[in-house]
Formats: sequence, structure tokens, C-alpha cells
Amino acid sequence: ALVMFFSPLPRLRSLLQRCWGQLEHGLLLGFSRGPSPPWGPALAVQAPALLPEPVSVTSESNEVPSLFDSILWMAAPKKRRTIEVNRCRRRNPSKLIKIKTNIDVCPECGNLKQKHVLCGYCYAKVKAETRLIRIEIGKKEGGPFNAPTVETVVLYDGEKPTEKEEGKRIIERARKRPSWFAQD
Amino acid sequence: MRLSVAAAISHGRVYRHLGLGPRSRLDLLRNLVTALVRHERIEVPWARADEMRGYAERLIDYAKLGDTNERAMRLANFWLTEKDLIHKLFKVLAVRFQPHPGSYTRMLHIPNRDDIDRAKMAVIELKGNPFPPLIVPRRDTEKTLLNQLLKGYREDAHRAAVP
Repeated sequence: ALVMFFSPLPRLRSLLQRCWGQLEHGLLLGFSRGPSPPWGPALAVQAPALLPEPVSVTSESNEVPSLFDSILWMAAPKKRRTIEVNRCRRRNPSKLIKIKTNIDVCPECGNLKQKHVLCGYCYAKVKAETRLIRIEIGKKEGGPFNAPTVETVVLYDGEKPTEKEEGKRIIERARKRPSWFAQD
Repeated sequence: MRLSVAAAISHGRVYRHLGLGPRSRLDLLRNLVTALVRHERIEVPWARADEMRGYAERLIDYAKLGDTNERAMRLANFWLTEKDLIHKLFKVLAVRFQPHPGSYTRMLHIPNRDDIDRAKMAVIELKGNPFPPLIVPRRDTEKTLLNQLLKGYREDAHRAAVP
């Protein structure tokens, strides 16, 4: 039966461990044989053949490298950016708002409009008049889904239908004809 | 040089994704075409107007073939959800656009929508509609320099030609 034997002095034990570690390291470098079982010291008395592993090795290997170590690898500005450099970056033309050169004046009403877009004021005028015409059409049709099978013509105050507008449905609007809606 | 197709990058793709899917897109466009044929002038987001324009013009092309044509009638039946507009399409619009070879619609840009989305809007209308015109063509007055010079030239030519 194996007898657990502990050396009387712990200092002697740690000295033995360190000496053995150095010896093993040196011997392994010298004779790198195949997978041989790790040597243990041959003790005179019955005792565990292998010394317990030194405690310090395992504790360090599994730990994540602490922030204190990785601070060395993070980017940080070396010098203060001067106000001149800052101004160059902030006022670079690519960062400024672009000027629009496609804004013009509407010749009809004098409001501003973009060149490729209809004038907002003139369109609002036409939209309001269209809405009133549609109300009149709604009154004439009565209910939903009564679309006529003939063309439609809009006549203002005091206008008579000409012979060109013979077969068409006539929508009356009770106001003077506006200047921008010419009679074709 | 990129040799593989990346599904998430859409550079150069021309077909628009409208609505919830392909069928939803067709339903959306169908509603817009019906509205255009009913009201003859509608105000819609620009992308939808652009998509709808082609479909509307092709529908009118088919309508020009006449209502006895089986294919034209089936197309009109699908595209116009309100069935009284089928009569309007064949009797009013086909007759109106008979002399014209193409381009029955006019699409114009409008100031962005007043809502929180500020969408790019367009107004699309059928030509020859009874409503007031959106663009009034303005001729230069006779008082401009060029017109005065041309008027003088015409009068001189007339005076030289007469005696």
C-alpha cells in the first residue's frame, strides 16, 4: 500500500520542484525523444512518482489578458489638433452645404420656383379651380360610377356652346373665365 | 473588378419595387390607372406616376383597336376596376386619341408633398382633358427688341415687294 509522504519542510519541497523543473527542461532540450512518460524522481520510499505540478503555471494561462496589458495597443491622439487644422477639416467644401443654381422666378406670379418643377402658387391656383369643376361634375353625375360616354367641356359666365362643342357634356361654372384658362 | 453578383447592392438595377410584392405592385398600378381614366388628372408620388404611365399608354393603344377586339376587352376588364370606365375608355378616350400616334399622357414635377415625408410628387394627366392647363405657353410680347427688329424687316420687305 502506498503511503502518502510529505516532506517535513515546505521550503525544501519548493526548492526540489524548481530544481526538477530546470533539470527536466534541460534534459528535454537535449534528448527530444518520442512521447515518453514524464520522468518522475525515483524516491527511496513509496511515494507518488510525480510531483504535483507547480501551482503558478495553470492560474496564469487561462486568464484573459487584462485591460492593463491591452491599453498598450489602443489608438490615441498624440497631439492636440490645432484650431487651424480643425478649421481646414470643418470648412472643407465637401462638408459645406451645396448652393442650388436651379432656383428661378416664375414669370406669371413672381414667386420662386425650381427650374424643372411647376410653380407652387400657380399649381395651387389651378388645383383649386379643378376642385371646383370636379364638384360641379359630381353634382351633374349624381351618384358614384356614372362616368359619361361623351367628352366634357367647361363654360364660364355668359358663354354659349359653339358648334365645336356639340356632342359634349357641359359643365357650368358661376364665375368669370380666368385669364390663364383660355377657351380653345 | 467585381465579378460576382452581390444581392444586397442595387447599382444599375432599373425595375422599381413598389408596394408589398409583385402582385401588390400590379394592384397599386391598377388603382392608379383607374383613377387616371376616371379623373383625367391625378397627383401621385413621382415613382408611381412613372411606372403607371407606361401601363396607361399601352392600355389606350389596345383600346384604339376597338371594343370588338377580345384581347382589348379582357385587358380593359383587368386594368379598370370600376366597370363604367370601360365604356368611357372605348367611347371617349380611344376616339380622342385616334389621330395621335403615341404619348397620350403628360407628367410634370410638383413641389414636394407638405407632409412629414416630403415626397417627390408628380401630376399626371391625359392630354385633351377639360380642366385648366398646367402650363400656359407664353409668347414674347411685341415690345421686345428682337420682335421689333423682325417687325421692321417684314414691313420693309412688304414695302419693297408691293410697288
